[in-house]
Amino acid sequence: MTDSNTPVLIQLDRRMTLRWIAASIAAGQLAACGEKFGAKDDWLAPAPLTGNGYGKDPNLQEPVVPWPLTMTKAELAATAALADLILPADGDAPSASKVGVPAFINEWVSAPYPDQQEQRALIIPGLAWLDKEAAKRGGQTFAQLKLDDQKKIADDIAFKDKVKPGYEQPAKFFARMRALTMGAYYTTPEGWKVIGYPGNTPVASGPYPGPTPEALAHIKNVIEGKGLKMNPVENGPL
Amino acid sequence: MVLTVDDPHDVVVVGSGAGGAMAAYVLTKAGASVLMLEAGRDYNPEDAPMLNLSHDAPLRGAGTPDKEFGYYDCTVDGGWNIPGEPYTSAEGSKFIWWRNRLLGGRTNHWARNSFRMGPYDFKPFTRDGHGVDWPVSYEEMAPWYDKTEKLVGVYGNNLDLENHPKASPGVLHTPPKFRVPELYVKAGGDALGIPVVPARRAVLMKDMDTRKACYFASPCGRGCGIGAAFQTTTSLIPWAKATGKLTLQTGAMVYEVMMAADGKKASGVRYIDKATGAHKEAKGRVVILAASTGETARMLLNTKPNGRSEGLSNSSGQVGRNLMDTVGSSLSAYFPDLEGRPVYNEDGAQGLHAYIPFWDYKNVQAGKTTFTRGYHMEIGGGFGEPGIGGFGGYDGYGSDLRSQVKKKYGARFGFTQRGEMIPNANCYMEIDPEKKDKFGIPVARFHWAWSEHELNQVTHFQNAVKALVDKLGGTITSTIEKPVDAISTGGEIIHEVGTCRMGATAKDSVVNSHGKSWDVDNLYLTDGSVFASKAHKNPTITILTLSMRNSEHIAERMRKHEI
Repeated sequence: MTDSNTPVLIQLDRRMTLRWIAASIAAGQLAACGEKFGAKDDWLAPAPLTGNGYGKDPNLQEPVVPWPLTMTKAELAATAALADLILPADGDAPSASKVGVPAFINEWVSAPYPDQQEQRALIIPGLAWLDKEAAKRGGQTFAQLKLDDQKKIADDIAFKDKVKPGYEQPAKFFARMRALTMGAYYTTPEGWKVIGYPGNTPVASGPYPGPTPEALAHIKNVIEGKGLKMNPVENGPL
Repeated sequence: MVLTVDDPHDVVVVGSGAGGAMAAYVLTKAGASVLMLEAGRDYNPEDAPMLNLSHDAPLRGAGTPDKEFGYYDCTVDGGWNIPGEPYTSAEGSKFIWWRNRLLGGRTNHWARNSFRMGPYDFKPFTRDGHGVDWPVSYEEMAPWYDKTEKLVGVYGNNLDLENHPKASPGVLHTPPKFRVPELYVKAGGDALGIPVVPARRAVLMKDMDTRKACYFASPCGRGCGIGAAFQTTTSLIPWAKATGKLTLQTGAMVYEVMMAADGKKASGVRYIDKATGAHKEAKGRVVILAASTGETARMLLNTKPNGRSEGLSNSSGQVGRNLMDTVGSSLSAYFPDLEGRPVYNEDGAQGLHAYIPFWDYKNVQAGKTTFTRGYHMEIGGGFGEPGIGGFGGYDGYGSDLRSQVKKKYGARFGFTQRGEMIPNANCYMEIDPEKKDKFGIPVARFHWAWSEHELNQVTHFQNAVKALVDKLGGTITSTIEKPVDAISTGGEIIHEVGTCRMGATAKDSVVNSHGKSWDVDNLYLTDGSVFASKAHKNPTITILTLSMRNSEHIAERMRKHEI
């Protein structure tokens, strides 16, 4: 089970530079609210969050998330299970929950900004829907379903051309969670490694080296394959 | 109202961005004592979060209403909306206004694109009968561009391109090598007769003075603590301070120009000290406004000498008129042939290494196009740092999803239009008759409407991108909207200029060719407000150049005791 209050999850997510404020208190306080607005009635938007963002002059070197994290234990458990279904471990690549995606999604849906609040209105009821759907299909919660049974639910909502009739809203929820999970995942150092992004790293000295010989040979091949020419870049006198 | 008076200086400069900092630099070097007033807070470039990870920022650094361009963007207490400092758009108009309340202003985060205006750009009326000519020619400006670019540090090179002038030998830094998307677009461009050439940007490719060469990491918009990407806080302002002649006052919200008892000369400015709320006067022999196109015009319109309702320096009625911004639109494309291409560090100097300068002058001049002025195209994308918002276009889940990501990474990039706008009577700013900001200063109200010149230019851009993408076997992934929907909102490109245009006569312009007010002999403007037209070229390098030229002129007049 995943729980926003367990220190292990926070450690897994981020180097301790980004601090969360009052997370444990808020998660407790808002649990009732989540159930009231989420679990009973599908797609009933949760109460909007009010509160302050980080302001127009935040500390850039020691960032702080000033808003309380609001997801309940049940919501976090469903989030973790779904995130790992979207991006499971694969060879050397860690799973989504291993790099802290659920905690990030909690940070995201708890942010008091309009975009995040709009997504919260889709995501919180969606997580409740997942558990309800799991119960309908013989499980207790989505997180407790066997992987194959989780996949059966996903197969109804994860493919834009094959959405099960009547499941349009869950499909919308899934697409949002997929985009958020992927965004959260590929912005971690582990995610960079998976796609090979080596950037935001200073070049040790001298000019920018440009594409590698391999990259140059590849693009030359592509260009010539189109019947075009890879002419040298014109460099006029300085 | 309690007024305290600052010690008099030779020159009072309002604003610390491109126009203000250059003026302060030139005039302190010339021996004048300068008081620089900045509405924002002080800034230490060492605070720039250059190598910090988006991963370490709230919401992975995503833009929010607090920081619209992202958590690490070097805009402080600013953006499209500042609490307590509103502006308004007239009914039926929409204009948005980016402000940065920080020492150095918007130079801390600009794209650093530095394209010189050319001969056509200074004489647009002569060329096509629209708008007005500048009272200066490219030939007069060329040596000043050289001096400015040499001081600033600009990469690029010198090719034979119509209306895109060369710099003198030894001015430019060697541009960085093209990256794969730029080489690919060039191959398409070469086949279609569309030039794809090295861009010019104010980013150092070699160490200069106190600044270091670019190390090819860190988005320039975060601010450049090593001084490679030009901003006044790592260059002109510290250099002016080093003369011992600069006094800097941050948190100073200037609201009007103060006139001498004779009512003819400016004697300084009045401002609100934001820390205490006190109203203060700053006195000087010369007053230079460089507070930005919107703020400078606002100060003039809010100054009512002898109760004159039209404001100061407005005998022509042109203050606030002729508001222009760059024409913007964009399209993204996907290139299947680039799927799975070899990954390497494609960050480079972050911004443009290559761009497409306007190439179709002949057809425009022959009347074969439905628009009148040119644009350039910027190319962006490739193997960039993944962003939290960049994962909308996927399907399915699991290991198949992972393969989609690997395949698509680096196969998508976009084209951006940056075009010239012709000034029109529907685009202007004035003072809102009712609304005041939290300081009690009447706010700006904007009027905006694009004309067919700009809308038809968007169509030309869309067709050119279609041709390029088609040649390269790609598909355009964004919706190709009607120009009226595709075009940027007024102000959105943050190139607003023209509210106090310069001209040859006092009848139809606010300042002369040296930025001197026609009405007030010791009042100068050195920001983008003085532009007589808005070429497609990004305005900052021209603001810097005009400010250098005109500040030298001010120094000369001060030496002669004319002012």
